[in-house]
Amino acid sequence: MKSGDRGAFARWLAGAEAPIRSALRGFAAQVDTEAVLQEALLRAWQVAPRLVPDGRENALLRFAVRAARNLAVDEARRAGFRAPADEEDLARLLDGLALAGPPAGPDPLLRRAIAACREKLPPRPRAALDGRLGAGGIEPDAAVAARLGMRLNTFLQNLSRARKALLECLRRAGVPEAELSP
Amino acid sequence: MTPSRARAALIEAAAGAYRPARPGGGICSHPAWHDLDPAGREEAFLAAARARRLEAALDKEGLSATARAVLARIAGW
Repeated sequence: MKSGDRGAFARWLAGAEAPIRSALRGFAAQVDTEAVLQEALLRAWQVAPRLVPDGRENALLRFAVRAARNLAVDEARRAGFRAPADEEDLARLLDGLALAGPPAGPDPLLRRAIAACREKLPPRPRAALDGRLGAGGIEPDAAVAARLGMRLNTFLQNLSRARKALLECLRRAGVPEAELSP
Repeated sequence: MTPSRARAALIEAAAGAYRPARPGGGICSHPAWHDLDPAGREEAFLAAARARRLEAALDKEGLSATARAVLARIAGW
């Protein structure tokens, strides 16, 4: 990571994304947390090579959480909100991360369960889900829908159906809802 | 489209990971997000969190569409 290793950063991202997103939970009604999260992750990439370890765990994750919260506060204020910035809450979160192990990616058992449920999806919801997965967050939904021969609203409805069907399938398979909650 | 279907479509759109680039640099919020009321934005947050976990679990490298979008921007720099 220190040398700008994209592979190492990708492995870090796999575990780091969820806790940073979770730290933005209180801003969900005030700012577009997806945009804030991506901006914070880009800043983490820029800062990683010169980040000085402080002897505690998860220095880059703690930086990214703080960056995300600061960006969210700025965006919320710009939009005229009184941002729900709770410094004590943030300090507790950062202290917890400083003592925790490295962030982990998806659990292998959960991955198998989700893959099995995906196989059971009806064709159009599955096509919509696969289309968005294939777009990798760099292509607008309208372009993905057009490629699949769906109207945008039909595509979005199929995505909703796919996610609901996956969650229902996982529930039946005994996967606790908390596994997929922020 | 009924109002409830239109709202559901906005939530689904805002829950995606695609975000346009800001002309001067940075990342724009999603147009659909602006059209949602506070409750809809909360729903979009939860839907996005679930969607990203599902995407990461289905990805061979464990990466969500958010992570893929960030890596694509880095590759383009």
